[in-house]
Amino acid sequence: MARPTTGALSLLFRFALEGLAGQRGRSLLTMLGMAIGTASVVAVVSIGLLGRAYVVGLIEGVGANLVFAYGTGDGINPEEVSFEDVEIMRARVPGVVEIAPVLSGSDAVSIDGEPEALSVLGVTPSYPRVRNLVLVHGRFFSDREESASEKVCLLSRELSERLYGRRAPPSDASLRIFGVRFQVIGVFREAVESAAAVQKSEAAGLTAIVPFSAFRNLYPVRFVDVVYFQADSQEAVPGVVESVEEILRTRHRALSSFKVESLESYLVLAQRISDAVTLGLIAIAAVSLLVGGIGIMNIMLVTVTERTRDIGIRLALGAGRSDILLQFLLEAGMLSLAGGVIGVVIGAGLPWYLGVLYGVEVPVSAVSAAVAFSVSVAVGLFFGLYPARKAAAMNIVDALGYE
Amino acid sequence: MLAPRSEVAPSAATTIRLEGVQKTYRRNGVPVAALRGLDLEVGSGEFVAIMGRSGSGKSTLLHILGLIDAEYEGRYELDGQLVSGQVADALAPLRNRMIGFVFQTFHLLPQLSILDNAALPALYARDRDALRCRADARRRLEEMGLGDRLEHRPNQLSIGQRQRAAIARALVNDPRLLLADEPTGALDSRTAQEILGLLAELHARGATIVMVTHDPEVAAAAGRVVLIRDGQAHDRRA
Ligand SMILES: Nc1ncnc2c1ncn2[C@@H]1O[C@H](COP(=O)(O)OP(=O)(O)OP(=O)(O)O)[C@@H](O)[C@H]1O
Ligand SMILES: [Mg+2]
Repeated sequence: MARPTTGALSLLFRFALEGLAGQRGRSLLTMLGMAIGTASVVAVVSIGLLGRAYVVGLIEGVGANLVFAYGTGDGINPEEVSFEDVEIMRARVPGVVEIAPVLSGSDAVSIDGEPEALSVLGVTPSYPRVRNLVLVHGRFFSDREESASEKVCLLSRELSERLYGRRAPPSDASLRIFGVRFQVIGVFREAVESAAAVQKSEAAGLTAIVPFSAFRNLYPVRFVDVVYFQADSQEAVPGVVESVEEILRTRHRALSSFKVESLESYLVLAQRISDAVTLGLIAIAAVSLLVGGIGIMNIMLVTVTERTRDIGIRLALGAGRSDILLQFLLEAGMLSLAGGVIGVVIGAGLPWYLGVLYGVEVPVSAVSAAVAFSVSVAVGLFFGLYPARKAAAMNIVDALGYE
Repeated sequence: MLAPRSEVAPSAATTIRLEGVQKTYRRNGVPVAALRGLDLEVGSGEFVAIMGRSGSGKSTLLHILGLIDAEYEGRYELDGQLVSGQVADALAPLRNRMIGFVFQTFHLLPQLSILDNAALPALYARDRDALRCRADARRRLEEMGLGDRLEHRPNQLSIGQRQRAAIARALVNDPRLLLADEPTGALDSRTAQEILGLLAELHARGATIVMVTHDPEVAAAAGRVVLIRDGQAHDRRA
């Protein structure tokens, strides 16, 4: 006597709903447990993504798609990047938007009558773009000033504040560098100042930058301190690194020590660390999901025991064991489903709302919401299975006699 | 009262054959024998009253007949089909479609209206849509004189009304075998007579009825009386 299964699910669905409605308060609390678990998973992923975006922002603030090459000055054959190297790189390295060789020297500056060490950089007009420098006051020098070797300079913000306080330097301000008077035309800072912690920055501290040509005229320098390249895309970065290395290898003696680096390795490292931290947080949040699941099991066990007679009657009237199993599985499933929906709404909505409130772009991962939701439903079904099986396996006569 | 219904064919063959049925309950590990090698045959279309002292095993027997209790020894053939020793769940459709059961203590679901209660066996049968199930349940309840109490919960009804609701539920799937455990136990004699009239009508249309009762007057309505004593069945022609 095979029985048709049409409408079976909708019928059991109705019975399950009736069951849940019969104990509204308890159902709501159980749902809440599930919702908190789901919400914390979703929120934790958002926090992780936010942290990741912050760290990546710090690193990329040093300069987007940046590659830099420098001689380390040690090894068996210490060598440095020469001016010819730079010209050949400028001509041959593909996929480069800007190239910015930097000369480095030092001088002294008198602050409040005391001499202090001053770091002087000779840079091309492309330098502020490549290195993400931000103007605090004034302007950068132009291509014309560069080719004319004009005696103009910009001060780091730190230097400017030591010399002139928080105000802009006076229009007739000048600085004596390499024995020559340079007109101060601006003040700069780095876009992301804490980025200096990631990579020791030559632009931090008491620094003045002057046109590359002027530096070279005044200071007996034979080597370039460092050359920056800005690749035209992130994908082009490895190619730039490779061809710069190739040029240095062919133009210098073996075993000379150059370093060609990109921020790639720092980025990868930072992303790995933040991913690991996020994963750890997810594991902790997942525990609350587990606790929610155990809550469902607990409640369903109580429910099944309480409804023993109800189950016995249904079985006696001809309900199949599978009908009973499914009814209670549906009850557990609906609890976790509703909990999952509420959890996703809270877990995704709260960070989003806070983001709007504080004007921060908070990333909400749709994938994490979907995963947290499915996991919570799966957890509910998994923990609902045992009570449902217990309900379905009841001895009818004993169940009918249960008070 | 009962309109003639074509679903119950007069020729429907329901035969009960029990052979050497033993049922032993265990109470705290102590065995309590309720049925000891009971033999019973009920022919198709018979109306049988089961009598016996309290505790003699009448309800136990009815549970076995109704496929509610599958844990016993012995042989049970229903309609020529061996049902003893079967996995309990395999019997669920049979229990649902073929047998109507009126429990001694009614066993109505307290959270449902009597209409929903009466519709339950029909819903689990899954051969009609929910609307049809409710319509059938309503008709059965109306036949029992509960037409104006459809949305009441069992605890809002008198004991007699509950008993009638339980009978309506047992009849909703047009069972060929009706098992009733003291169906008039809670009724005054006039209502009891009405119920007996209903059972007689059902019987007249071909249903097989096995009814437990303490009341010889009620038993007289049946064509045959079986006495349970010492865990065995003794026929006592009325
Ligand atoms: N679930 C059970 N566990 C243990 N013993 C039981 C159980 N159900 C019934 N019994 C015992 O089995 C015997 C038969 O019980 P049963 O309920 O079949 O009697 P009955 O004839 O229906 O009595 P009554 O006329 O009072 O309804 C009794 O001695 C009873 O104590
Ligand atoms: Mg009894």
